[in-house]
Amino acid sequence: MSETAQSNHTEKKDFLVRSSSLKDVRTFCREVFEKLQIEQNLKDELVLAIAEAAQNIVKHAYKDDPKTDDKMVVQISCKDNKLQIGFYDMGTPVDPNKVKHREIDNVKPGGLGTFFIQEIMDAVEFKDGKKPWINHLVLTKQL
Amino acid sequence: MSYKVTEDGNIATIHLDGEIDMDVTEKAKEVIFPHIEAGKEVHLNLSNVQYMDSSGISVLIESHQKALEKNTKVIIKDVSKSVLKVIMMAKLEQILNLE
Repeated sequence: MSETAQSNHTEKKDFLVRSSSLKDVRTFCREVFEKLQIEQNLKDELVLAIAEAAQNIVKHAYKDDPKTDDKMVVQISCKDNKLQIGFYDMGTPVDPNKVKHREIDNVKPGGLGTFFIQEIMDAVEFKDGKKPWINHLVLTKQL
Repeated sequence: MSYKVTEDGNIATIHLDGEIDMDVTEKAKEVIFPHIEAGKEVHLNLSNVQYMDSSGISVLIESHQKALEKNTKVIIKDVSKSVLKVIMMAKLEQILNLE
């Protein structure tokens, strides 16, 4: 638990849906978590989880449209020591029932991003995207 | 991501530098795979890699498996604490050759 996390804080930023944006997503997260004074180990884990979720948007929701000019939004909120990260995109609708990681003992490339997200976060929830958004993913973590 | 390769006999030492994510995995494969396919033992030095995501981990797995097919090996050297944590989260510390 981070004792210094601020009680109420929200920031959001949009990013072009491209793999080249992932570095910018991480930079944004690190800056916000710096303000929230989240300790380094947890910060590294959270940045990984968020970057994996953003990567999933690029890799899956926009699989058929890799040169899109669409943007995705990442919103980080901290309220009463509960961190909530929202992702909004206008890609292919995600079927939550099909979002599964590979069996961890079946070692092969791929299928680890969702596993990392689930390991790091307390909850992963797909919500109905409100126009203009198609997908709305919410990750939560109690600090 | 930047890299440096040195070769000494049958050993190719590859120093990667920077953050390894989906955006650079193709480049990482282009750097690593030819040495494995040539049957070299690859020493992958990750001391200057401070961030690696699932895409980077996939490159490590694929490199390891390709090396087995070629009867050689990939040894991951000087892995940073932050990357080791991700390798351990993926439960690969007993699978990959870490030194």
